[in-house]
Amino acid sequence: MSKGWRLGRASRLLQAPGTEPVARERRSQPPLGPPAVLDVANLSVRLLLHRERTMSIREYAIWALKGRRIEGEEFWPLRDISFVVDPGERIGVIGPNGAGKSTLLKVIAGIIPPSVGRVVVRGRIAPLIELGAGFDQYLTGAENIFLYGSLLGFPQKDLERRFGRIVEFAEMEEFIDVPLMNYSVGMAARLGFAIATDVEPDLLLIDEVFSVGDAAYKTKCEKRIESFRNKGVTIILVSHDLGLIRETCSRSLFLHHGRIVAVGPTAEVVAAYERFSSP
Amino acid sequence: MSADVLKPQPGIYLADHRSSGPLLTLLRYRELLRQLVIRDIKLRYKRSVLGFTWTILNPLFAMAIFTMVFSRVFGGGRNYPLYVVTALLGWSLFSVGTTRGMESLVLNGPIIRKVFVPKVIFPVAAITSQVVNFLFSLVPLALFMLVIGAGFGASLLWLPLPLLSLTCFALGLSLILGTFNVFFRDVKYIYEAGVLAWFYATPVFYPPEIIPSKFKFLLHVNPMYALLESLRAPIYLGTAPPLDLFMSGFVISLSTLAIGWVVFHRYEAQFIYHV
Repeated sequence: MSKGWRLGRASRLLQAPGTEPVARERRSQPPLGPPAVLDVANLSVRLLLHRERTMSIREYAIWALKGRRIEGEEFWPLRDISFVVDPGERIGVIGPNGAGKSTLLKVIAGIIPPSVGRVVVRGRIAPLIELGAGFDQYLTGAENIFLYGSLLGFPQKDLERRFGRIVEFAEMEEFIDVPLMNYSVGMAARLGFAIATDVEPDLLLIDEVFSVGDAAYKTKCEKRIESFRNKGVTIILVSHDLGLIRETCSRSLFLHHGRIVAVGPTAEVVAAYERFSSP
Repeated sequence: MSADVLKPQPGIYLADHRSSGPLLTLLRYRELLRQLVIRDIKLRYKRSVLGFTWTILNPLFAMAIFTMVFSRVFGGGRNYPLYVVTALLGWSLFSVGTTRGMESLVLNGPIIRKVFVPKVIFPVAAITSQVVNFLFSLVPLALFMLVIGAGFGASLLWLPLPLLSLTCFALGLSLILGTFNVFFRDVKYIYEAGVLAWFYATPVFYPPEIIPSKFKFLLHVNPMYALLESLRAPIYLGTAPPLDLFMSGFVISLSTLAIGWVVFHRYEAQFIYHV
């Protein structure tokens, strides 16, 4: 574990205002085993559909003049989600499209703020969500390693040290000084995966990233994830691949319409989901 | 249920539950800030033959044009090229910086939607890269001053102060405009027109004395007048910035920055649904 990891060293507590830090009280209690890596309590995300669409200034003025009365429809991508993840656990998240799986990962990663409730993360997160978001098409692969790496919060020195390893894992030696726009989609994805996973996180968030690259590279990625697994890294895996979920995860959440429908041992939750999706 | 529904607002806390606050988060991401500024400078002159030399040539061209067109009218015994170029450099930092800073959130929308990042870093990076640009332009300015035989006095040591003041103002305004631009894209077009009018309303290429007395009040409501005069004094006059102008400019700059910072962080949590 590198010393330079400044970002993730701090635990992060995301919470909606009005819900005072429960974590503060938690401290005074006697410790019961290692603290949870992730603690999600009463988490909801609300969208006000009228407000979240882009209005022009004129539309806004009319809306404001009418006393902001026209209450639009509310939409809750996530509703009353609570669960705790202990160190070393591997949690699967399943559900139909639009169930809120990706939104949940984004809230945990700090990208989407919670509207209600709180999310406490203790430790470093490695979010394998939308790999390569932040890549610049005009910069070379090497330059992008530093740009994307710093976007993920890695210090410069760390990146310099790990540069060779990243390039090697991405199998990118010949193309590293070529602008990214000349890369194939698979190459860029490989580079993104190599940068994001060249860490030892406490919490790994995976959102269906196994679809990158050819069969051989896919195996390589799976091996790396497996090595995280063997090291006891806590993993939250969102996937439609029920076989993978069964194989990887001890416990699972079944989300539907933003709510937890079932939570428990993977076998039971997957069975419930299968009953749900094949009536 | 609706009673406990509150406006989305992120709180980031350290392990000991002290809020780390947006400023500390920004500090932790200083590496990203550096990368964003480097990217901006690298990409600006990508695929151009002269590359970075343009940073040096651009202000010289602008100065030459203004001198050719206006030196007869506004010259009046002063060293017009030097008079105009100092304020032009400052104006360009301000106008390019605020425009880019305002757009930066929308342009970096894909990142904001997909990665956790302190969003304020994008306007900060836009302004920072303009400040870097300004510092680089001081090289041709110094060469030019050598050529025309203008003196290099100790007054140049004052330069960081008006530069800091101008930077704070540009950043503060970027934060305000950037926030509004996230919700109403009209802001960008309004500002682009407005900044042009603002340029002509500010004594950049003409001396303040030519403003008719009934419009003199404009100078006092225009912070750019105080900011640019303060920047101009150490280079052009070889004196310290006029204390009254500098102080009023500085107060306005810091207030703008404070307001911008608060406004930005108040609405920051909603950005993700609009960028």
